[in-house]
Amino acid sequence: MTDRKPVYLMTPALAWLTAFMVVPCLLILALAFFRRGIYGGIVYEFTLSNIALVFDPLYARIFLKSAGIAGLAATIAVVIGYAAAYAIASMPRKRQPILLFFAVLPFWSNYLVRTYAWIVLLNREGLIVSLARAVGFDGDLPQMLYTETAVVIGLVYNYLPFVILACYAPLSRLNPEIHEASRDLGASEWTTFRRVTLPMTVPGIATGFVFVFVLSIGNFVTPALLGGGQFQMIGNLIYDQFLTANDWPFGAALSMFLIAIMMGLLTLQTFASEKASGQQRAEVSDD
Amino acid sequence: MTNRSSLRFMLLILSATFAFLYIPISVLFALSFNASGLPTAWTGFSTHWYGELIANSDIIGAALNTLIVAIVSTLAATLLGTLLAIGVEIRRRKGRVLETVIFAPMIIPDIVLAIALLSFFSMLDFRMGLHTIIISHTVFNLAFVCAVVRARLKSFDWSIVEASTDLGATPPITLRRVILPVLTPAVVAGALLAFTLSIDEFIIAYFTAGSGRDSITLPMQIFSMIRFGVTPEINALAVLVMTLSVVALAISQRLNRGRLPGQ
Amino acid sequence: MTSTLLSLANIEKRFGELRAVNGVSLDIRENEFFALLGASGSGKTTLLRMLAGFDMPSSGHILLDGHDISQVPPNHRPVNLMFQSYALFPHMTVAQNIAYGLEMEKLPRTEINERVDEMLSTIQLTHLAERKPEQLSGGQRQRVALGRALVKRPRLLLLDEPLGALDKKLRGEMQLELKHIQNTFGITFIVVTHDQEEALVMADRIAILKDGELLQCGSPHEIYEYPVNRFAADFIGVMNFLPARVDSGALRAVNGSRIAAPLPADLKPGDNALAAVRPERLRLGVADADNCLNGRISAMAYHGLDLHLHLETPVSPHPVMVRLTADAAEGHPFSVGEEVSVGWSARDTRVFTA
Ligand SMILES: Nc1ncnc2c1ncn2[C@@H]1O[C@H](COP(=O)(O)OP(=O)(O)OP(=O)(O)O)[C@@H](O)[C@H]1O
Ligand SMILES: [Mg+2]
Repeated sequence: MTDRKPVYLMTPALAWLTAFMVVPCLLILALAFFRRGIYGGIVYEFTLSNIALVFDPLYARIFLKSAGIAGLAATIAVVIGYAAAYAIASMPRKRQPILLFFAVLPFWSNYLVRTYAWIVLLNREGLIVSLARAVGFDGDLPQMLYTETAVVIGLVYNYLPFVILACYAPLSRLNPEIHEASRDLGASEWTTFRRVTLPMTVPGIATGFVFVFVLSIGNFVTPALLGGGQFQMIGNLIYDQFLTANDWPFGAALSMFLIAIMMGLLTLQTFASEKASGQQRAEVSDD
Repeated sequence: MTNRSSLRFMLLILSATFAFLYIPISVLFALSFNASGLPTAWTGFSTHWYGELIANSDIIGAALNTLIVAIVSTLAATLLGTLLAIGVEIRRRKGRVLETVIFAPMIIPDIVLAIALLSFFSMLDFRMGLHTIIISHTVFNLAFVCAVVRARLKSFDWSIVEASTDLGATPPITLRRVILPVLTPAVVAGALLAFTLSIDEFIIAYFTAGSGRDSITLPMQIFSMIRFGVTPEINALAVLVMTLSVVALAISQRLNRGRLPGQ
Repeated sequence: MTSTLLSLANIEKRFGELRAVNGVSLDIRENEFFALLGASGSGKTTLLRMLAGFDMPSSGHILLDGHDISQVPPNHRPVNLMFQSYALFPHMTVAQNIAYGLEMEKLPRTEINERVDEMLSTIQLTHLAERKPEQLSGGQRQRVALGRALVKRPRLLLLDEPLGALDKKLRGEMQLELKHIQNTFGITFIVVTHDQEEALVMADRIAILKDGELLQCGSPHEIYEYPVNRFAADFIGVMNFLPARVDSGALRAVNGSRIAAPLPADLKPGDNALAAVRPERLRLGVADADNCLNGRISAMAYHGLDLHLHLETPVSPHPVMVRLTADAAEGHPFSVGEEVSVGWSARDTRVFTA
């Protein structure tokens, strides 16, 4: 096979990606170092003030807040998702694919629609309130929609299927004999889980967590719809810089930070899975 | 893991998870057929709200736009992504940087790609509209098509390519008569996945659509409707959109030998 | 004497430091059934791929009908390869698989159909013409792969382990069928195998490769009876090696006893040597034998047609194998631990440099 053929096959797609992804992203990178004009627009003059502004307490708080919400959503999603994946993996082998299919199916329906479903459930004339009334409860119900809780629920709901998928992969590859061996050596069910199953499935957990965290922290739809503009997350902040405040350089600086956080986490995650798989290899060769 | 009480516990976890996943969706489904359209009372089965949808020219227009975007970007992405996948797999050993470029559109936050493209198009004084949405959707769609096709190529028997050459075929003929037909199911699966993603995609479309009303897509329409509050029409629309994506996904996953995209 | 079809002149193939094929020169004749025999990793596939055109030799020339084809791409060589994995096109039917190569030659449709039908009946798959490869058994796939290559009527057909994936019984049948097909079509076959028995059964001539080098090339009889050195002798069949020393025109075993054998000219007194004799050449009793040997039975194996004895002897650190036919073993109730004497003639002894 000559070396020229593959290049020739890849060229169109790579050209496309270069023109419409690499160049625009580099543009954003450059934009972060320019000054904003008085009436919006961009003045081509080098400055670090946009970067500095990101660390301004006002915006740093938003960053921390977003990180907090994303972290909470990711933690909850991982706990539920791992439990569900574990449950699927402990069902008969034949049943597992179909269970997995239905666990992941909602993920492929429209994100807006899935978020909207929670508006229907949580709003003041929504289903949950109606149900409470129907069973005779007529005290004051707390506000549910347009709260942080609603945002967290929405994020968990939307990304849970992915976490199940990510956790299921290593769980299904676990050799049941390893589990049995541990039991045979006298470990209890719980000790076996803690000392054997959990460490060997860390990569799935890490993938799930990072994925939910990254998608949540940059999310803009869920806070906008379920948070009702009560508070901002980074995604909304970036959105505002481009579509309302018209401060593109600052928006660009924020995006850069978002990407930096994302890349940092992905590197950590790669590291975690490599370490875990190294551990597995060591365990195998120890036997 | 076959212990009885622990099995019961597992079933409990599963039921709770599935309830959490499916109750919200089912509620929408039920509401869309509720004559009153309100969650407060069931006033009888009706397809009234679906009728309303069809009569709403904004929605129909948006739906048409979405279809145009999805179809054109899927076609472009399928062509580009498939060739890319074949090329990459032929010379897999080299190029880490390349891998990053190919994976990036799938992991980059939507909002970042959206603003990057917005800045790019507006700085070039590119008039924005459906065509810029199509261009932008092709970026991530081709990455997904490429991923699905590459997954199939991992188990591809490359000796049939040599066999074809040995029997006298030139490389383009081998590509057309051997490689592509064998890959067809994966290519179609990738295309359907891209189609689903494109139909549902909101943020990037929102940023690259320009300001004209005539380039509004269905998700953009849904977004603005949701912002106005709960209306029975959205329920019906939601159910339709969801059904469409799920059907496309189901076909895609069948073709992809029972593997879900991303698995 | 038939004419030479293919000439390999000093072919060499390097992968980095490794010389996968090292200075191989061979002539292959028109209409010959030629077997390339060698252990795993000896360079058989590499050599075949160079003949088919998928790899270029690092140096040396490949001449087909006297023309150098080293640089001709595979799709322009009148040479076809039957792949070890068969490499059938999974999306095409049996008939389409077979027609593919003819379509590449842009033959008229009617001729293609005719030749495909003819080939289908030759390989006895007419009734399965519309099946896809995945609906075929291993043996049927093997025949499709053969038919697909054969239908192009190449000057030379290369077969990489053609029977490797078949079970033992089917292999036996297919060995004969391959030979039959080769005869009818009159096409030169080069078959790669690591099964020495298969090579002996099918081939007109055999080449033995070891670590990329050609050890010996000759007819099955030559190869079996007159191996050129101890490696060739060891590779084909079973051979007993007795360490020995050349001592003023005679060969002496380690215990000093004399071994009667034709001595090669290059062995000088004082040289170490190996005397070799095949297990089936050993006979019970020592009457009128040139050589004799006493030993104790350490193991026995009954194989139906014959009986194998392992003897512990003073002349070799390894057990000496004896293969007795059922007739010869008749009436001898052997038991482990028993002492027996065996003998063999000088004619059946080969002597190699150690
Ligand atoms: N593309 C390659 N790159 C590097 N080394 C190779 C390559 N192909 C083959 N080799 C090496 O060349 C040697 C000969 O390989 P070859 O495949 O020809 O062996 P073979 O005789 O066909 O063995 P087998 O009976 O196992 O098929 C081996 O050591 C192999 O590792
Ligand atoms: Mg080989």
